[in-house]
Amino acid sequence: MEFFDRFAVPNPTFTIYASMVAIGLTMLAILVGITYFKKWGYLWREWLTTVDHKRIGIMYLISALLMLFRGGVDALMMRAQTAIPDNTFLNAQEYNEVFTTHGVVMILFMAMAFVMALMNFVTPLQIGARDVAFPRLNALSFWLYFMGAMLFNISFVIGGSPDSGWTSYFPLAGNEFSPSVGTNYYMLSIQIAGLGTLITGINFIVTILKMRAPGMTLMKMPMFTWSALITNLIIVFAFPVLTVALAMGTMDRLFGTHFFSIDNGGMDMLWANFFWVWGHPEVYILILPAFGIYSEIIPTFARRNLYGYKSMVISIVAISALSFLVWVHHFFTMGQGALVNSIFSISTMAIAVPTGVKIFNWLLTLWKGKIEFTTAMLYSVGFIPIFTIGGVTGVMLAMASADYQYHNTMFLVAHFHLVIIPGVVFAMIAGLFYWWPKMFGFMLNEKLGKASFWAIAVGVCLAFFPMFISGLDGQARRMYTYSESTGFGIWNMISFIGASMLAIGFILIVYNIYYSTRYASRDISSDPWNARSLEWATHSPVPDYNFAITPEVQSLEAFWDAKKKGHKLFKGNYKEIHMPNNSGVPFIMCCFFFLLGFALVFSMWVVAIIAAIGIFSCMAHRSLEQDHGHHISVEEITKTEEKLGGAKK
Amino acid sequence: MKVDHSQPLEYSTEQNRLNILGFWIFLGAEIALFATLFASYFLLRNGTGSGPSDGEVFVIDTLMIQTFLLLTSSFTIGLGVHAMRLGRKTATINFFIVTLLLGLGFVGVEIYEFTQYIDEGLTLQTSGFSSALFTLLGTHGAHVTFGLFWGSFIIYQLITRGLTPETANKSFIFSLYWHFLDVVWIFIFSFVYLKGMI
Amino acid sequence: MRELFPAKQVMGYFFSLLLTVIALAVYFVDMSYQVAMTILLVTAFVQAGVQLVVFMHAGESKDKWSIYTTVYYGVFIALVTIFGSLLTLIWGY
Ligand code: HEM
Ligand SMILES: [Cu+2]
Repeated sequence: MEFFDRFAVPNPTFTIYASMVAIGLTMLAILVGITYFKKWGYLWREWLTTVDHKRIGIMYLISALLMLFRGGVDALMMRAQTAIPDNTFLNAQEYNEVFTTHGVVMILFMAMAFVMALMNFVTPLQIGARDVAFPRLNALSFWLYFMGAMLFNISFVIGGSPDSGWTSYFPLAGNEFSPSVGTNYYMLSIQIAGLGTLITGINFIVTILKMRAPGMTLMKMPMFTWSALITNLIIVFAFPVLTVALAMGTMDRLFGTHFFSIDNGGMDMLWANFFWVWGHPEVYILILPAFGIYSEIIPTFARRNLYGYKSMVISIVAISALSFLVWVHHFFTMGQGALVNSIFSISTMAIAVPTGVKIFNWLLTLWKGKIEFTTAMLYSVGFIPIFTIGGVTGVMLAMASADYQYHNTMFLVAHFHLVIIPGVVFAMIAGLFYWWPKMFGFMLNEKLGKASFWAIAVGVCLAFFPMFISGLDGQARRMYTYSESTGFGIWNMISFIGASMLAIGFILIVYNIYYSTRYASRDISSDPWNARSLEWATHSPVPDYNFAITPEVQSLEAFWDAKKKGHKLFKGNYKEIHMPNNSGVPFIMCCFFFLLGFALVFSMWVVAIIAAIGIFSCMAHRSLEQDHGHHISVEEITKTEEKLGGAKK
Repeated sequence: MKVDHSQPLEYSTEQNRLNILGFWIFLGAEIALFATLFASYFLLRNGTGSGPSDGEVFVIDTLMIQTFLLLTSSFTIGLGVHAMRLGRKTATINFFIVTLLLGLGFVGVEIYEFTQYIDEGLTLQTSGFSSALFTLLGTHGAHVTFGLFWGSFIIYQLITRGLTPETANKSFIFSLYWHFLDVVWIFIFSFVYLKGMI
Repeated sequence: MRELFPAKQVMGYFFSLLLTVIALAVYFVDMSYQVAMTILLVTAFVQAGVQLVVFMHAGESKDKWSIYTTVYYGVFIALVTIFGSLLTLIWGY
């Protein structure tokens, strides 16, 4: 029995037991369902072993939506708890766990996955490539992310959730103050998922640099691809810092090292330092793809080309370097000297400049455009004012001396939600509506989509604007309750109402997916929005090989000019196409990673060693195997193209 | 698979060229990784707690041996790649074997050095300084050890499959990895050991 | 046999040994901390450059631009991380 004691949740409540039962039953239902419908083979052949960037993108998408649900429930619980003073819906410990998992899930497992989903699906299509540079590694990336996310999510039923915040500052996160295994989960699951992200970073840089269609020079690349390139560049150089920080945190907790301890020469703020050396670039990893998406959608529906393409490119390149120079603004109050704070204060304000340039470019693109308000466009236009408020308050926070007042209050919470939600979440939803027909061959319902926009846009304002006020009045973040005499009650009640509207908006989106899957017309053209870039030049849904003939590009808006100026994109005849083979090894390897992570969380060394051997065996297998992929014959291409409605010109 | 004969084997197919660039970018990430380890070492160097400090435990003899072994191995693997470009399979394999033997020697000396530290009362758990030192050296050493296994797999493939675009590509990438570890060592040699001993 | 030992690489090897010996001087010869650090900085970075260019063939392919950008960017991030952290947590604390 003693062996099993360690898996018990330290602070069990009725809700946790109920969730355990619910999770158990859901798993069982899924397993039974798959067996009953005899889908195991299909699942294995078409999804678990796939190396196709489009399918991997879709798997990221599904995972991101699942995680959005998990993080969303956390958020609603927090807002419900604080809606009225002295509430007892959650106790302090539960509240700690909920805000911690909310932050981690939303940033690392929802937003990152959403970004990965669209990057995976869209980038190779936009550059006219057949797949990414390393399709097998791409599958590995996804499964690492997925296993990391799963590992994190089982924490609340096995062993207990982490509870020291998504930033997990030491010494709070050390063994002394966080004795449960929760923080081990934090360290290891993010480590595993982060590895996947790093691999994606390398993969996409090579893909974008080397696999563009002939004629597509760097300065003829669509804006989304540009932003993907820069995002992945930031990933490659920021994630290793996180890797090291997490490894050191893990060692402090498991092996008794003294990196972040207060005694024996450790340095507790070193964690905060490294966390933000990664953390600030990370917020740009999230926002840049979003900027890229807006730069695709706004020109499409304003029916004008993007204003200031060159300055857009220069801004994101500038952001890529600047984003590494500002991290200290997250702990201005640590106690460092005025010189350090001044330096980072100034660099932080500087980063608002390229961001501002981009805002003006979008506004000037809209200027005199013939704007068509589709759902995707509504989200893109709605983004501009709300994000600007979030950004401007960021500049307020950037003033070090003023930040002593704002730091760790609800004001800060309002700032980052008002940049991340319109910035990232709106963009992802807009991208989802925009590229959905390309992914699945039918469109999402516009009426429901617009309704969701209004619910979400109003919801986000109601939920977060009041926090500016309560924050300035002194309401600290991460407090599970407050007394009535503080006067925070009203603001938090408004927040709760806003959060509920947000929830309604998300439910509308999910319902929209269900509704459109059932009822939407499958008879749509491959270019339903009258769009501008290459992904719209092939069929919907996209065949395995993306393009039967590799397109040749002459201008920035290649597809638009093909339509309007009669440029010819597809020259020549079909040729045999070389494609990579599917493989189950990435999936199996990541199962071992899951096992390794789980074993380390509970310090089960033997299991950990077995899992590590499993991982190395998979690598050895990869080293020795000879896999040259397969070819799709010309007849097969002709047949597929016929079936999809004839060859593209 | 299109093979371009005007280029050295390791660059001769499109996938090979992708692999090489991809590996360079991976090395970029490794620079960031080691930089973080160096940063933590520099920050914690004076955090010796009640344990010994860097000047008290570092020894010049093992350091010189390790440096000589690794520098030489970097040279021999360079010769290995050169031989590969001349199409000299046996010479390539031999140079690779010598490289791995030198690497093995390096790891051996490192392990010996670690046991010495432990004898002097400096373990992973002693202080902030010792944690950072062992982690930095250990990460480098683990990379070399991983390289020993990886390199053996490549030698095996060179022997059984000969010089093909694939094996040549793998060998070349492995050589990049190995040189990179040498570069990291140079920084450890200069800014961990020598700086700690002056 | 001779063709297996190209002059460029042999020279590179001897040069790197030489740099190592120069660096070792900071241990064996009495000098001030500033001089010693200057020597170490110079020898380490030159040594890294030798490896990069002579042994790693960084400049030989068409991707040389991407490769050098990656390396420079990596070095930039490395310096920022190291000196930025030192500045915030020690020098400027
Ligand atoms: C317009 C430029 C921006 C400036 C000047 C800025 C400035 C700041 C500052 C100074 C802080 C720290 C405040 C404190 O802790 O007291 C902060 C926190 C934060 N910012 Fe921003 N920011 C900007 C844009 C963004 C963007 C675009 C995102 C995300 C997409 C973002 C996400 C965050 C997050 C997540 C936090 C706080 C995390 C935490 O402590 O839990 N910021 N910002
Ligand atoms: Cu920041």
